[in-house]
Amino acid sequence: MAEQGGTAEQSKTVEEPKVSAVELKKRAKADKQARRAAQKEQEGAPAEVPPATNGAHQEPSAQGQGVQQDQKGKAAQAKGQQQPKPSKQGGQDVRPERGGPSQPQSIPPRSKAAPAAPSKELPKRDNSVVELLSHLYPIQRRPNLAGVSKDVHPAVLALGLQISTYEICGSSARCVAMLLAFKEAIQAYTTPRDTSLPRHLVSHHLSPQIDCLRSCRPLAESMGNAIRWLKKLIVELDPDKPEHEAKDFICEEIDRFVHERITVTDQAIAASARNQIRTGSVVLTYAKSAIVEKTILQAHEQGTRFRLIVVDSRPLFEGKRLATSLMRAGLEVQYVPFSGLAHVVKDATLVLLGAHSMLSNGRLQSRVGTASIALQAHKADVPVIVCCESVKFSGKVALDSIVLNEIAPPEELLLSPIPEKSPIHPAGVATTAVTGKSAVTVTSAAISKDASEDDEPAKLKTLHEWSSISNLRLLNPMYDITPAEYIRMVICEYGSVPPSSVPVVHRLANEGM
Amino acid sequence: MPSSVVGQTPSLTTFLKSLKQNDIENSIELFISLLKRRQIKNSRPCAIATTHLLLRVVAEPKRKWDAQKLIARVRHVGRRLIAAQPREMAVGNIVRRVLGVIREVAERDEDPLTDSEISGSASPITGEFQRPALPTRFSEFSPLHGAAAMPHNMHSGRPGTADSMAMEFGGTPQRPALLSTNASYAGQGPPGTSLFSILQHPQGRSPMATPPPGTQSPVTGPSPSRRAIAGEIPEKLDIKAEVIDGIKELQDELDVVDNQIAESALDHIHSNEIILTHTSSQTVQKFLLTDARKRKFTLFHAEAYPNNHEATHATILNGAQGEDDSDERWKPLTSLGITVILIPDTAVFALMSRINKVILAPHAVLANGSLIAAAGASTIALAAKTHHVPVVVLSGVYKLSPVYPFDTDELIEYGDPSKVVPFEEAEFTDKVDIVNPLYDWVDCDLVDLYITNLGGHAPSYLYRIVADHYRMEDIDLNAKQDAVVKKG
Repeated sequence: MAEQGGTAEQSKTVEEPKVSAVELKKRAKADKQARRAAQKEQEGAPAEVPPATNGAHQEPSAQGQGVQQDQKGKAAQAKGQQQPKPSKQGGQDVRPERGGPSQPQSIPPRSKAAPAAPSKELPKRDNSVVELLSHLYPIQRRPNLAGVSKDVHPAVLALGLQISTYEICGSSARCVAMLLAFKEAIQAYTTPRDTSLPRHLVSHHLSPQIDCLRSCRPLAESMGNAIRWLKKLIVELDPDKPEHEAKDFICEEIDRFVHERITVTDQAIAASARNQIRTGSVVLTYAKSAIVEKTILQAHEQGTRFRLIVVDSRPLFEGKRLATSLMRAGLEVQYVPFSGLAHVVKDATLVLLGAHSMLSNGRLQSRVGTASIALQAHKADVPVIVCCESVKFSGKVALDSIVLNEIAPPEELLLSPIPEKSPIHPAGVATTAVTGKSAVTVTSAAISKDASEDDEPAKLKTLHEWSSISNLRLLNPMYDITPAEYIRMVICEYGSVPPSSVPVVHRLANEGM
Repeated sequence: MPSSVVGQTPSLTTFLKSLKQNDIENSIELFISLLKRRQIKNSRPCAIATTHLLLRVVAEPKRKWDAQKLIARVRHVGRRLIAAQPREMAVGNIVRRVLGVIREVAERDEDPLTDSEISGSASPITGEFQRPALPTRFSEFSPLHGAAAMPHNMHSGRPGTADSMAMEFGGTPQRPALLSTNASYAGQGPPGTSLFSILQHPQGRSPMATPPPGTQSPVTGPSPSRRAIAGEIPEKLDIKAEVIDGIKELQDELDVVDNQIAESALDHIHSNEIILTHTSSQTVQKFLLTDARKRKFTLFHAEAYPNNHEATHATILNGAQGEDDSDERWKPLTSLGITVILIPDTAVFALMSRINKVILAPHAVLANGSLIAAAGASTIALAAKTHHVPVVVLSGVYKLSPVYPFDTDELIEYGDPSKVVPFEEAEFTDKVDIVNPLYDWVDCDLVDLYITNLGGHAPSYLYRIVADHYRMEDIDLNAKQDAVVKKG
């Protein structure tokens, strides 16, 4: 239980008359020494730290700030260290505690916990949490089947695994796949005897499926809208309808939803957007958006002669898939890594972007990097057009990319599969250095190994050992928010609207149904 | 480490070693081939190699130089080096610095001689010691105009009207006088101007002090009579020795440039700041390490994919590498308690709202304050401008080039497309045009502060530093020097 440090002190002294103040002081001193010894083991020679007030969100994993705790006796370090005595606190600020340090009422359990607490708390405050975005942790990716609720339909489970490995990627694709999986789950459902379908289906059958999907990857905005629609549909069903009819009805409605709000919408948007592509246009796009791909293919079929620039980024390399499919369709494609953006945006005449969702303050939430694209295009006076179905429109608002985001597992940033422990012998290096991209990492590490004395063990680390370095974090955000002023136009099935009209369309499409 | 050059990939270290063994022409050829094959890359190694090579060229044994011949020789060599890799601007910068050294040495040696001559003549500008006018390439309105070394011949026939005269030739102002004889070539202070000197020579003085009238640069070919009087041979030896000293000072400057830049680290980064940087620049690492000893901050480090990300990862994990592939590495920032967060380049805009400062290291800095930096810098600088985050650029003066970016596209070098998509993917690489620019041009508006080994400056001040370090006549190495040689 987390309590205010200050009040803790007073409550403790009030509630424990049996232990004298002298005893308290002695025990606390012993604890502090034990703590110091534990600290010195962990830290090297930490640099002196001025007693600056850290920003609250900067309270980092405790190991980096061990010195501060020790010397200043600040209780507020969320390491869950013991409370400093009132005498030691002196004039120090006591911060509200985060996490749950043990706050026992009697002294003896606490002193037992003292040495254990550091080691217990350390793994919790582990390397991978970037404090700035701690509200987005823990990262949801379910890698295996263990621990799945028994109510989860196998189709939904399969879908969850596909989503978490990016087999199905992109918010429209995920939305459609989810609805189709739900169709199967609903068909497999039987109403228990003493309740009716509208009342029981949502809370007892649909919810576990949704939770399973959510644990595989946070839900996309389109999925959220679809779920809200589905729940509304089910709850408003006539309870007297026979079960199989109700289920068929739901499935038909799901089909209709997918058809109307995604399939037909995509065609309408593509038809509208392709008019923006004229002869001689140079269209720039980023990552892989299904709707932008459709637009480009339609424009190409129409016979317009234009060329395409695809900007791509790490770690997903979605742009490469788009470039491959368009290249096979016969288009002239230029493929650029993200670092080459400034160079190619000067040649572009139009930027077409897809969306994860449009926010109600006109901002675009899309794959991380989109904001930079829109920024560079805006600076180069190239119009930016977003193609987005209304099912992705959202009632949320955000001012920056920190509040609404998704963090992907940092392991995705690692370049190659973990290289085998190659011996320092050059022959060993050669064999491991064959595999494609891993070649470069392995050889660079190996060359540096060779350069050092042969008898010294290789001291240079590769990125795969990032978790062993206490102050190193890897951050892999998935989305970013593009300000509305960089977007010229949003094309949805209701027409071409400016970004400021997003809340209107959202009300119409997602809430006014 | 095998000692023979053959067993190792050619690089800066092998070149420096071979410099001792090979003769000059071979060394030049070796350097040119290293440049062409990009086995020697990035500003600092190129600058170091050029300095050593020019030292060898100047110190050619059994060769007696007079200033004119030496300048011609260095220009010739410099032209070849620059032609090998025009986008490695550090090479040209060093060549121009060495030429500046030579000219200074020569001028300084002439000074004692000319003073005795002056006292006799009433008009400072008559006689045979005139330089023909040099056309200047800088218009009157450009900031470099003021730095142009204008020949005194302006005044020919019309003493006392220096200012108006210059209009014809496109420039009035004179080269600031070099008053101190022991000025370091590396770090010249602003040239001395004093009321005394203005009062001494009241004719036609512009606010930028002119050299004492009558002082001629020996480049222009002092009359043979004076030469004969002065005694040629000791003078030539002096030039060689002094130029060698000057070049050695240049080498020293290159050695300590990072330390000098890092000296101002504590002034610029405070506790609990969140800094953003990218690429594995050694200068930035040293700067941050100096600061990390006293301050705690957080660093977001953007890997620069695809050209520099492995080096960036290695730098973050293991510390910045010492001079060219040496085994010793600096301590990584993480070991000093700094939280380092590695982010992909795409996340820069997303996180910029929380960043307090951006620190960049350039490949080259241009005379108007804009810079060429590793690809991705333009996006970072733009995002910083949008969020009103200050951008600090760390650069030694050796990276500062007297070139104006009229066509910025020409300054961008392209890299290996197989780093983006390996050539094994035959269909893709065949049909799709893959572009991998190595550098970005960042406009001067986007930069807030330059920290050089001379201290901190606003981008608008850089033209002055250019003027201090380079001579007007050296800026275009292809220009014919014949006009200069003609005697009046």
